[in-house]
Amino acid sequence: MVRSESRSLVRPAPAWPHRTAEGHHLLDLAGHRNNVGATAPDHLGAGAFNIWGNSFPAGELPSGRPVLVDGVPFDLPVCGAAAPDNVRADGQFIEVAPARYDWLYVLAAAERRVEDEIAFHFTDGSVDFEPLRLSDFWAAPAVFGESAAVVTEVMHYPLHVQADVPAMLWCQRVPVTRRAVLRAARLPRNPAVHVFAATLREAGLDMAGVADLESAEG
Amino acid sequence: MRTRRSIDQWYRDPVSCLQSTVAALLLADGQDPLEVLGLAWEFRYLPGDVRPEEFYWPCRVPGDPVASLLPYHPARSRWRTTAVADPLAELREALAEGRLPVVAVDNYHLPFRPALNDVHSAHLIVVYDIDQDGGTVLVSDAMPPAYDGELPVADLLRAWTSANPREQEAFFSGAEIQGRWLDVSLGGPYPALGPERLAEALRADAAGFDDSAACHSGLAGLKRFAGALVEAAEAGNARLVEEAYTFGWGMQAQAALHGELLRRCGNAWRVPSLAEAGRRVERTAHLWTPVRVTAAHGRGAPRDCARDLRHHTERLEAGYRAALIAIDDAVAEL
Repeated sequence: MVRSESRSLVRPAPAWPHRTAEGHHLLDLAGHRNNVGATAPDHLGAGAFNIWGNSFPAGELPSGRPVLVDGVPFDLPVCGAAAPDNVRADGQFIEVAPARYDWLYVLAAAERRVEDEIAFHFTDGSVDFEPLRLSDFWAAPAVFGESAAVVTEVMHYPLHVQADVPAMLWCQRVPVTRRAVLRAARLPRNPAVHVFAATLREAGLDMAGVADLESAEG
Repeated sequence: MRTRRSIDQWYRDPVSCLQSTVAALLLADGQDPLEVLGLAWEFRYLPGDVRPEEFYWPCRVPGDPVASLLPYHPARSRWRTTAVADPLAELREALAEGRLPVVAVDNYHLPFRPALNDVHSAHLIVVYDIDQDGGTVLVSDAMPPAYDGELPVADLLRAWTSANPREQEAFFSGAEIQGRWLDVSLGGPYPALGPERLAEALRADAAGFDDSAACHSGLAGLKRFAGALVEAAEAGNARLVEEAYTFGWGMQAQAALHGELLRRCGNAWRVPSLAEAGRRVERTAHLWTPVRVTAAHGRGAPRDCARDLRHHTERLEAGYRAALIAIDDAVAEL
């Protein structure tokens, strides 16, 4: 098992614009959040990350502020207010700023190990399915090679705070292999998948298709 | 008088306490848990047999979970029930004879479990020493948060004889503990695992999956299970839908261990196709997740999750078929 210790790859950062100068697009998930995955100690019963009512300790997450993980900026929602703070995958169709992208980065975790697919929809009408792989959030290792963005010291249970059982928030990435302009990403229908934040990274400007990228950005 | 200071533990995140306790016994016997627990792979669903316990396993050998879990090893086990007059007597006798008792408990009464005074749940631990004078036993539990240490006899007895009343989360509650313990004989030492022995096991597994006459095992059994689960959801049968979470744990755990073993052997023996087959098998373990989690979350309104269960079980069946094709390719190279 993963040893319980305070550990985080998260770095504080200034407020991000919707698109950073480095070509990162921070997705607005506000309208899609449908699950309480993190709780404050005085609202433990609101936690519903898994079937047992376990939840992340909100105090150990970089709640409600911009952060940088593995060089990728994310906007994490406010956690611990007994309000939805993550998107439990239920086939949500998330429109994005049309552009060519290389990667979709997510701060996410799963109720047990998950291998599923995200559907990428492109402006030319094409659709690709790409793998979404997430390790278990409950005291588990990164079996899919994710970065452990946050390893908490405790796990929240409905009636108590449990030491020595860390909750894992993973930084995972999904490739956008098609060299076309992306317009939306559709999550799988899989209640084990929880996405707290997501950011798209534009295709490298030294790669083919720069003209199309500029065109897409108007 | 204490006979052992501690025993080693072994854990992987997909396993249940059945695998983790048997792994502890294997380690104490000088065996490699992954090599033993990961050798067999099967599908078996016995309608009406699923018990709400973390350690439920659909037994090919009736009443013998360890022989059923390890069909390619001469291991045997039997459930015994402790005597009321001297509840520790049988455990003491087993320890004196060099066997580690695996004891059924209700987590609700165990001070080191997160479920203490919260959730009733049927679980297994290893008792590896008894201090009668001190009123304690030494126990080992590899499931997080892992524990290895003393347990007051009074707590053990409460957990060991609990009625384990049914909870709202009824996946592992509602089956009385009844002072049960598993008396295991590993039957070792085991032969070393080489390509020939692995290929023999893989061929036997494949024959089991291909047995079209089997009602409840193999690919035919998986198809029947999937159909029955979707039908149960469509009919609003919450109890059967709920059961998929409990039942699926064993299948998920075994697939994860089998896949890891094949990957490890494939890398060690420089047989890339075997490592890739292992990864295909691991994927089937991961495809169990949405089946189990959809059933668990959906049990309150089963009809609403029927369509998703159909989708996820179809992907699961396809995953098994793909893994078996990959294994067939790998066996040809062993």
